Amino acid sequence: MNGLKITNVSKTFGKTNVLKDINVEIADGKFLILVGPSGCGKSTLLNIIAGLETATTGRIEIAGEDVISRDPKDRNIAMVFQSYALYPTMTVRGNIAFGLNIRKVPKAEQQQIVDRVAKMLRIEDLLDRKPAQLSGGQRQRVAMGRALARDPAIFLFDEPLSNLDAKLRVDMRTEIKELHQRMKTTVVYVTHDQVEAMTLGDYIAVMKDGIIQQFGTPSEIYNHPNNMFVAGFMGSPSMNFIPCQLTEVGGEVGVYLQGHTTRFFVRLSQTGKDYSRWLGKNLMFGIRPEHITDYAEQVGAQEAIPCKVDILEPTGPDTLLFITLNKVKVVCRVTPETALQHSIDKMPLYFNTAKAVLFDPASGLAI
Amino acid sequence: MVTKWLERIMPRLVLAPTFVIALVFIHGFILLNAWLSFSSSNLMPKYDWAGFIQYERLFANERTAVAATNLFIFATLFILICLFLGLLMAILLDQRIRGEGVIRTIYLYPMALSFIVTGTAWKWILNPGLGFEKLMHDIGFETFQFDWLVNSEMAIYTVVIAGVWQSSGFVMALFLAGLRGIDESIIKAAQIDGASLPTIYRKIIIPGMRPVFFSAFIILAHIAIKSFDLVMALTGGGPGYSSDLPATFMYTFAFTRGQIGIGAASAMMMLMTVMAVIVPYLYSELRSQRHA
Amino acid sequence: MLNSGTIRWNHVLGRAFIYLMLGAFALYYLIPLFVMVVTSLKPLDEIRSGNLLSLPMQPTFEAWGIAWNSACTGVQCNGLQGYFYNSMIMVIPAMLISTLLGAMNGYVLTKWKFPGSNVVFSMLLVGCFIPFQVILLPMAKVLGMVGLAGSLPGLVMVHVIYGLAFTTLFFRNYYITIPDELINAARIDGASFWTTFFKIILPLSTPIIVVSTIWQFTQIWNDFLFGVIYSSGEQQPITVALNNLVNTSTGVKRYNVDMAGAIIAALPTLFVYVVAGKYFVRGLTAGSVKG
Ligand SMILES: Nc1ncnc2c1ncn2[C@@H]1O[C@H](COP(=O)(O)OP(=O)(O)O)[C@@H](O)[C@H]1O
Ligand SMILES: [Mg+2]
Repeated sequence: MNGLKITNVSKTFGKTNVLKDINVEIADGKFLILVGPSGCGKSTLLNIIAGLETATTGRIEIAGEDVISRDPKDRNIAMVFQSYALYPTMTVRGNIAFGLNIRKVPKAEQQQIVDRVAKMLRIEDLLDRKPAQLSGGQRQRVAMGRALARDPAIFLFDEPLSNLDAKLRVDMRTEIKELHQRMKTTVVYVTHDQVEAMTLGDYIAVMKDGIIQQFGTPSEIYNHPNNMFVAGFMGSPSMNFIPCQLTEVGGEVGVYLQGHTTRFFVRLSQTGKDYSRWLGKNLMFGIRPEHITDYAEQVGAQEAIPCKVDILEPTGPDTLLFITLNKVKVVCRVTPETALQHSIDKMPLYFNTAKAVLFDPASGLAI
Repeated sequence: MVTKWLERIMPRLVLAPTFVIALVFIHGFILLNAWLSFSSSNLMPKYDWAGFIQYERLFANERTAVAATNLFIFATLFILICLFLGLLMAILLDQRIRGEGVIRTIYLYPMALSFIVTGTAWKWILNPGLGFEKLMHDIGFETFQFDWLVNSEMAIYTVVIAGVWQSSGFVMALFLAGLRGIDESIIKAAQIDGASLPTIYRKIIIPGMRPVFFSAFIILAHIAIKSFDLVMALTGGGPGYSSDLPATFMYTFAFTRGQIGIGAASAMMMLMTVMAVIVPYLYSELRSQRHA
Repeated sequence: MLNSGTIRWNHVLGRAFIYLMLGAFALYYLIPLFVMVVTSLKPLDEIRSGNLLSLPMQPTFEAWGIAWNSACTGVQCNGLQGYFYNSMIMVIPAMLISTLLGAMNGYVLTKWKFPGSNVVFSMLLVGCFIPFQVILLPMAKVLGMVGLAGSLPGLVMVHVIYGLAFTTLFFRNYYITIPDELINAARIDGASFWTTFFKIILPLSTPIIVVSTIWQFTQIWNDFLFGVIYSSGEQQPITVALNNLVNTSTGVKRYNVDMAGAIIAALPTLFVYVVAGKYFVRGLTAGSVKG
């Protein structure tokens, strides 16, 4: 069955086009991520799904039913907001039960539901407190509890973790994932954090300027980005884009890269694509930091190339190296041991070209 | 179905009475008053068209010039003194004063009083026979004279005295809130740069309070132009009509002397005066909001 | 050593000077009140023989009694008593109605905006700025037409109408700081327009309700302009009665009765100010400082 189907949705505020012809469809029980930079229209789209905003055109189906003309309360949804939006004058219990109260759920049943939710989120001790007496993480849990108290067809989350500190954010992320695996309810989750998007989503829709740039599974998005925006937005540090010219040397298609001291040729045969049409053209060579590395056994890696390192940034688990290729700064990722073993003037690096992507700089699209 | 429809239009329904009030009782009435000012109304309001007759009468009347001059004197002194005292008191109070709460309460309580009460009190204090004059005599200044209240040259200044007493505390509160709103780190940075306290106030804090000066000025100008009760209670516009202000002038002509047309015309002039002060302010306010 | 000693000495002198100035200003504001109280407690002959600041030799509440019960306010000589109650009867409904309407307006203007709602607000806001003289004559006519001329209900209506611009402004500026997400959460929970208002917004509004009611109470209680024009005879508010009492020109001038009357007229607003003035100032200054 359909979990959620968004058809041709667009939205204008006055004269600005905030959403342009959005189409997304996911099956029941799936976890959909809407990710993109701030201001790209994620919240607007979520609010349209919720019925808090009306779409200028288009249709929304939730669990197989057309809901576009329904009020939020009749759409069978629950929502968690970025600021949590807890009712400040009510206790935690009151907050969780408010929606049940309005729906005239019998008192005894309300009690049961509140207790069940509180147990699930481990907030039993907080039930009689007011939101002002809670920490950020506790408020976040209560906001989740309010949504969980109902048994909706779809959960909507609008950047629920962005107000938490880094550690709590990682913990809650895991918890949300666990909850979803347990409850198997459809989720639409808005975030601007690409790590959250990668870790949580069954599907990711990457948005920019009110347009869905790419829709797919996390691995599709990460490994086969449609365009330079998606490639640059997903992954941290982001993908390197090196201007280059596609050439053929001895029957092998590849690009020349010019470092401070060395000039070398990188073969692209392993990507398995036919580049013959682009020979001699100026292109963008996209390669992620983890694919310029000390790890020789990577598929598609060629012989090590000694590179002069400009800056060295240890992050703990690995060390980032900044080198210069074709006059642009390029980030590489190696183990700390390798970084220490070799001279920074001659760091041996392998280019894993099987994972490299070529882009047409004019359109930004992947080739 | 009906409840759903009702729920949809509820916001409009709630705002509807307010819309009617604004339309009829504010804008409609201003237009009606404008009409009256162009009519031949005297004892009874007449809705006809008589051109600028009432305005001609208004400007031909010798009381008009007196009221206008008085407003100019009163507004200028009232605003300047209130701003000066208010700022001075706010700066003094901003020096980590013990008992600040009590002092602030004392400075501010006159604002809670009616201008009628203030006028009554100062009328007694400034009374030439038994008031301030007598007090000075008793202290030893035998020849001290203070008859402003009954002196047609000086009566308007007594209105300034009482007005300042009532309103300066409020200006102090505005400035104090402004001072407290200034970013502490800027002041700390200036101190580290070696600026003395007076320099910090002169060069950093006071220039940073432009919006407060502006708000205070607008509020005080508004109070001054509308001033009515204070004059009624303190001098009754007298001696003669020497301490008339536009508001008392309007009242006298429209409601006690039965010259409705002139009263309406003078009210229009008051509206123009207020607009001349406020429209530029609102304009700049709206512009800065749009830019922010 | 010498140097730091001088600095400390200068500091002490500076502080002393600041406190001296603050004290002087405090006296400036307090002396008129002191004079009013002392005068109201003196018999007339003591007023004539002493001066403004001299304390009463034989304090007496006689003047207070006269002011309350029997002073002449024009033709009647029943004191301020009745007019005090008039003011109460006028101020309480006017204050409550205008505050409630202001709260509802503020709620719609911030949380349920519709095309044109801001136009209504701008139109209303003009009411904060106009000198009321421009509406006095048409209002008199309308009050006459609906049969409310010269009556307390008429005055209540006038105060509600012309207080609405201020109360709406207060509530709008307050509600604008309440996040819209709260309303969205309530909508998803299924709360209606009024449920959200009464269950969520109104319980959050205590500070601004305090500001609005205090503002309206003081404004309406202290009003003289509308009172003197739209009421007559037994229906006048206390400010008008006090002014009549002071300016009644028959017989000897009884300054002690005038002062007692003035204090009686001032007591309710002074009381409110002392009890809740803190919130009042906080609310009043908040908007104008931001500008
Ligand atoms: N009520 C509104 N009126 C006008 N513009 C709006 C309104 N709400 C959002 N926008 C604009 O729409 C764009 C998308 O906003 P939003 O959906 O909140 O972005 P995101 O959640 O991705 O950060 C932004 O440029 C924002 O300024
Ligand atoms: Mg958002």
